Amino acid sequence: MTALLAGELRRMWSRHLVRIVIGLALLGIAITGVIVAVRSSPEVGADPRFPLTMLPDILKGTSIPLIIAGWLLGASFIGADWRVGTITTLLTWEPRRTRVIVAKVVACSVFVFALAIAVQAVLGGILGLDAAFRGTTEGVDATWLRETSGVAVRAATLASVASVIGFAVASIGRNTAAALGAGFAYLAVIENLVRGLRPGWQRWLFTDNAAVFITGGDVSFTFERTMLQALVLLAAYAAALFAVGVVMFRARDVN
Amino acid sequence: MAVIEVEGLRKEYRSRRGRTLAVDGLDLVVPEGGVFAFLGPNGAGKTTTIRCLLGLVRPTAGRCRLLGAETPKDLSTVIRRVGSIVETPTFFPRFSGRLNLELLGRLHGIGRKAVGDVLERVGLADRADYLVKTYSLGMRQRLGIGAALLKDPEVLILDEPANGLDPAGIKEVRELLRRLGSEGRTIFVSSHILTEVQHTADRVAILSRGKSVASGPVGEVLAAGRSAGLIVRVDDMAGGLEALRSAGISASPDDHAIRVMLPPEEAATVTRTLADRGLYLTELRPDEVDLETVFLELTRESPKEPSP
Repeated sequence: MTALLAGELRRMWSRHLVRIVIGLALLGIAITGVIVAVRSSPEVGADPRFPLTMLPDILKGTSIPLIIAGWLLGASFIGADWRVGTITTLLTWEPRRTRVIVAKVVACSVFVFALAIAVQAVLGGILGLDAAFRGTTEGVDATWLRETSGVAVRAATLASVASVIGFAVASIGRNTAAALGAGFAYLAVIENLVRGLRPGWQRWLFTDNAAVFITGGDVSFTFERTMLQALVLLAAYAAALFAVGVVMFRARDVN
Repeated sequence: MAVIEVEGLRKEYRSRRGRTLAVDGLDLVVPEGGVFAFLGPNGAGKTTTIRCLLGLVRPTAGRCRLLGAETPKDLSTVIRRVGSIVETPTFFPRFSGRLNLELLGRLHGIGRKAVGDVLERVGLADRADYLVKTYSLGMRQRLGIGAALLKDPEVLILDEPANGLDPAGIKEVRELLRRLGSEGRTIFVSSHILTEVQHTADRVAILSRGKSVASGPVGEVLAAGRSAGLIVRVDDMAGGLEALRSAGISASPDDHAIRVMLPPEEAATVTRTLADRGLYLTELRPDEVDLETVFLELTRESPKEPSP
């Protein structure tokens, strides 16, 4: 299992899409850093001065692209296997299909989590430099650090959960496009329909629970849910979809 | 001991367009050692059978056993002893050939040295560190053969291993198969190119429309495929034909010669009959039956159409 997992992590790291995502993230961070530096005034008392205490809110905002990237990386990881046919080669070496798919999803979710943490760390570092040289670090203390780390870990966790869901849907549909299409249909159509027609069901929607989890319940909702409850619900969705993916992967022909 | 056993294997694919019967009650026994050729035209069910053996496809009915283990249920207990290629081998295109093999090898504790040796053996040593996406079809096929050999397997299951190879590569594969077979391994090789296996295989099974239409040692299949005969050539073809027929010997014209329906050991009867009439042979040889002839006859005569 360790060799299988190591191989999948290696493959994940070498993916072209991963390089593109990292490149885009670094570009976005660099542009953000420059804009903040230009707009922020280094002089005390001047307005606006970029305060590093804003970082948790910025990280909350970046959680959305991280979730989308997680979904995309998860879906395309298994989707590419089906498209290229490498799953056949792998199964002739390791025929225990449950092991194979579990190793893949673990590698994918761990990688996405680590990537999300790294991206946020780089963003935090750049903005820290902006604050140090052209803004202010006032209010940066242990409480702030705890809050910021909490948001970063929660955003990375959500990206990881999204990668598992993307992976599971692509496993069921056997290609990346199926997962991306399903994701778009869910977010653009189903969630909006539910909000419009069945407001009481809003408590079960992915984005609402994701918002509760990431904000720590700061935003006002029509329902009450703790951060932990939201996480458990989202993890349950991911686990259920993955379980369906495993059952189908075990039962299907690999042609 | 049978290395591969297939009993009543049936595989039906369902799609929106209906059902396709790929394998129809196939029985097959592959004994230990030597090269077993699994022949059949395209669409005969060879690849589906191999996929069933390797647990990639679930049979609709019947059972498969590989090295005594039921597949797919117990396949993992014997997979270390089985090397395989299924159709065109697929590898991670953004990894080098070497890394692809190393990652596969690690699954069974196979080290880098073995990978290097295998790459040398299949003639990829100088391109081992290039990305697979830069490989030609033939190079990918060689890498596939390398992957199949990497476990130093007792059984090799090779589905059309010469696909995409140039004539020199096909010859190399043929020699490799012969060598591996002589080492005591069991080589189960499917093909629709008969020259690829004719002089390599010890045993053969011919598949047509999902069913085995002939199976056994190559000599037996050839003998059963077409009656023995002699090819005779004389200057006066019409006279020779008449002389043989009037002596009660069954004979017929055959491509500027006469085909006589007598076994080769009765050649003396033919020479005597013709010499008695003053007709002297310019050629007398056994009518050798090749695998291609038997294959074409057997696969053409198979009566059943696949289910729609």
